[in-house]
Amino acid sequence: MIEHLAPQLVNGLVLGAFYAIVALGLSLIMNLTGTINMAHGSFMTLAGYLAYTMVLRGTSFWFALLAAPLIAVLVGVLVERTLVRPLYAREPFYSLLMTFGLSLMAEEVYRLIWGSNGVPFSPPAALDGTANLGFMVFPAFRIFIAAVLVVAIVALALFLTRTRFGLRLRAAVQDTEMIAALGTNTQLLYAVNFGLGIFLAGIAGVLAAGMLGLSPTSGNALLMPAFVTVIIGGMGSLFGSIVGGVLIGLAISLTTLFVPAASEVSMYVLMALVLMIRPRGLFGEEGLFG
Amino acid sequence: MSARGTTIASMVVLVVLAAAPFLSPLVHLDVSIVSEVLVTAIAAMSVNLLLGYTGLPAFGNAAYFGLGAYGAALSAKYFHVSFLLAILIGTAAALLGGLLLGPFLLRRRGIYFGLLSIAFGQVFYFIAYRYTDVTGGEDGMNFPRPPLGLPFANVTVNETAFYYVALAAFVLALLAFRAIVASPFGRTLVAIRQNEVRVRYLGLNSDRFIFVALLISATMAGVGGALFALLINFAYPLELDWHQSGYFVLMMILGGAGTVWGPLLGSAIFVIGKDIISTITPLWQIFLGALFVACVLGFPRGIVGTFSAVLRRRAHVADVDDANAAFDPHAPVEVGRGV
Amino acid sequence: MASDGVLLDARGITKVFGGVRAVDDVSLRVQTGTLHALIGPNGAGKTTLFNTLSGYARPERGTVVFRGTDVTRAPNWQRVRMGMGRTFQTPSVFPELTVDENVRLGVRAYAREAFRLRTPRGEAAAAVDRRVDELLGFVGITGSRERSLAVLSAGTQRLCEIAMSLSTDPALVLLDEPMAGLAESETDRIITVIRDLRERLGLTVLFVEHNMRVVLSLADRITVLDRGKLLAEGTPDDIAANPAVRDAYLGEGVLDHV
Repeated sequence: MIEHLAPQLVNGLVLGAFYAIVALGLSLIMNLTGTINMAHGSFMTLAGYLAYTMVLRGTSFWFALLAAPLIAVLVGVLVERTLVRPLYAREPFYSLLMTFGLSLMAEEVYRLIWGSNGVPFSPPAALDGTANLGFMVFPAFRIFIAAVLVVAIVALALFLTRTRFGLRLRAAVQDTEMIAALGTNTQLLYAVNFGLGIFLAGIAGVLAAGMLGLSPTSGNALLMPAFVTVIIGGMGSLFGSIVGGVLIGLAISLTTLFVPAASEVSMYVLMALVLMIRPRGLFGEEGLFG
Repeated sequence: MSARGTTIASMVVLVVLAAAPFLSPLVHLDVSIVSEVLVTAIAAMSVNLLLGYTGLPAFGNAAYFGLGAYGAALSAKYFHVSFLLAILIGTAAALLGGLLLGPFLLRRRGIYFGLLSIAFGQVFYFIAYRYTDVTGGEDGMNFPRPPLGLPFANVTVNETAFYYVALAAFVLALLAFRAIVASPFGRTLVAIRQNEVRVRYLGLNSDRFIFVALLISATMAGVGGALFALLINFAYPLELDWHQSGYFVLMMILGGAGTVWGPLLGSAIFVIGKDIISTITPLWQIFLGALFVACVLGFPRGIVGTFSAVLRRRAHVADVDDANAAFDPHAPVEVGRGV
Repeated sequence: MASDGVLLDARGITKVFGGVRAVDDVSLRVQTGTLHALIGPNGAGKTTLFNTLSGYARPERGTVVFRGTDVTRAPNWQRVRMGMGRTFQTPSVFPELTVDENVRLGVRAYAREAFRLRTPRGEAAAAVDRRVDELLGFVGITGSRERSLAVLSAGTQRLCEIAMSLSTDPALVLLDEPMAGLAESETDRIITVIRDLRERLGLTVLFVEHNMRVVLSLADRITVLDRGKLLAEGTPDDIAANPAVRDAYLGEGVLDHV
């Protein structure tokens, strides 16, 4: 069993990177606007299917990896401008309900276009082999996925901490009214932020399609672990989402190895344990009542 | 609406409900569909107490509904308990679930409460999904409907009899609900929705109120779930899924959040609408999704809420002083984003 | 409780927000039966200190002792039960409920009736009615009792909030800028009510106020904060003559007509 441990740990890290990047997108949107985007998984699935269709029509995988998420972003920003925006002034749970409705519709639309069953989406030949990591041999595609996800996370961190727009975004999370008073275009900020979240979801969607399969509900399957990631990491904290994702990835892959039946339940056990010790999550903000 | 008007309207609804097994064939409606309306209305009511009155986004009530369903199904299948005892066991299972999850959910408010509800609720889904040996896993589990279990009337429960049991449960739940929201306890829940900080600065431990509201809500959802399993003689994991929680919330918003009759109306539209549309087109889910979007954007006060707001405006009543008042999403109260 | 006793004793309170020390090692003693003012320029940390005293926020360091008990880690509702009431800069009320219901919730909370499933009748109900009448009469808003808070003026909302804070029978009332955003006529009414809190009800009051003229004429003791630190403490005469205080307020012109 021990010889399976190392690959399973690396697997867990890759899985964790998926959860982290989906959770980061969710957190970005939630922190700024209070919207829990229940359609987040649908955007992942959309990007996956778009990439699948592109590759089927002869486009290169590399082009699809970038183009599919960008199209998903276009759809996302359109949705944000027309359907989510009118809800910002209302209690946040209305936007939760609305995006939930959208995800139901999207699922059915995907079924109509691409069929109910999963479709095969294989990585390009260049990534088909295995890579020797020295201590073990691992599928090259998974190494590639991990690399892309890490690059995306680092790029996001740089964007938020090094660019003017990113700094404004972080300031706006602290105090929306102040930013509006300073004259920053709040609406543009909301749209770009939403788009950014969808872009992360889109990248994850294309990569997940190659690793975990692609079906009308495949994106939603990643949504729940992402929620748990946000909670463990601490609601409001982006850094927490990264740590939370890795923790859950490891927890799931290790229980898959030792107690396969408990693989999903393990992340909830982890969540309960973290909340018992630290009610606000690992890096979350303090509650109002201390 | 005046108090007398409300009473008369309520009486009419109850009379129609009492005669439903005889009326439903006239409109080509299976009586079991009307039973389903009542049963899911009880679950929608459970969401109403938390979301409509207390202002907590309860997006995890399917967990208690499903615990009720599995509690009834497992006890009927493996221990051959009677119909009524199965309801009791299902309800107890749901209450236990509330006791277990409550302490975790209590710690947060606003959307974070919603997020925790969704996430924690899903635990039971995966348990039911994975423990195939006992629960039948993804395929669910069927079981024969047990006899009623009253000492003087241990009869088999046919569809009409089931309907009247469901109606009795619904009326009981409704009466309990009305009593709760009109009581000092219920008024405090409304106060928590409007301004929890002030409630605490009146020397009240709001956590305690929310915990009890949560337990009442879980119990109610459990009754609905147990009856639902006994209605279809079947329990399946999707009853526990967060999608189901969302449907209950939709029913409540559709009918009118924070109103007493809203959940029944919302449940009727949902269940009967699904029954009709599913026979016409396989695209029920698109209609359902569109209903969510339209409801949120078009009439967030729901049907009962919008209706009574119009009546109230006609009556020139300036101050809303009514436990049944529809809650206005534009009112200057925020459920709170990150408390 | 003896009139010369210490009702509230806060020592070394420090509260940090994102690396900024909003309150830095501040100590404050409120003597029983005094009208104690807390003043300071904008951003001095007055409200933050208030929040740590009343349990709205937990300090990183320091202790809060109320009526001889350490309440530093006690939740806010428990402090209220021990006899602490408070108001907020923006009146914290139930906007959709009437004045009567707002105050009634407080009276019921104090009578341990808020948790009941049955509305009390008979003598218990009459006692609640009497108490509500009394509180509304004290702040003088009986005429507005059937109106909902959302439609009332800021001044009436403030008076209702004070009545709600009194409904729990406090020994100490914390008022956070009770005159902020009020019209002149309403300000006079609030000043009278604050005086009455001590003269007629024998309560101790700690209040934050910007208007220096009001503070100097109303308060027995004054604590001055500046940039999170304790600047001065003393009688109105001490404070008016204190050069450090005059410096802190220089340019704001508030001490010019004293």
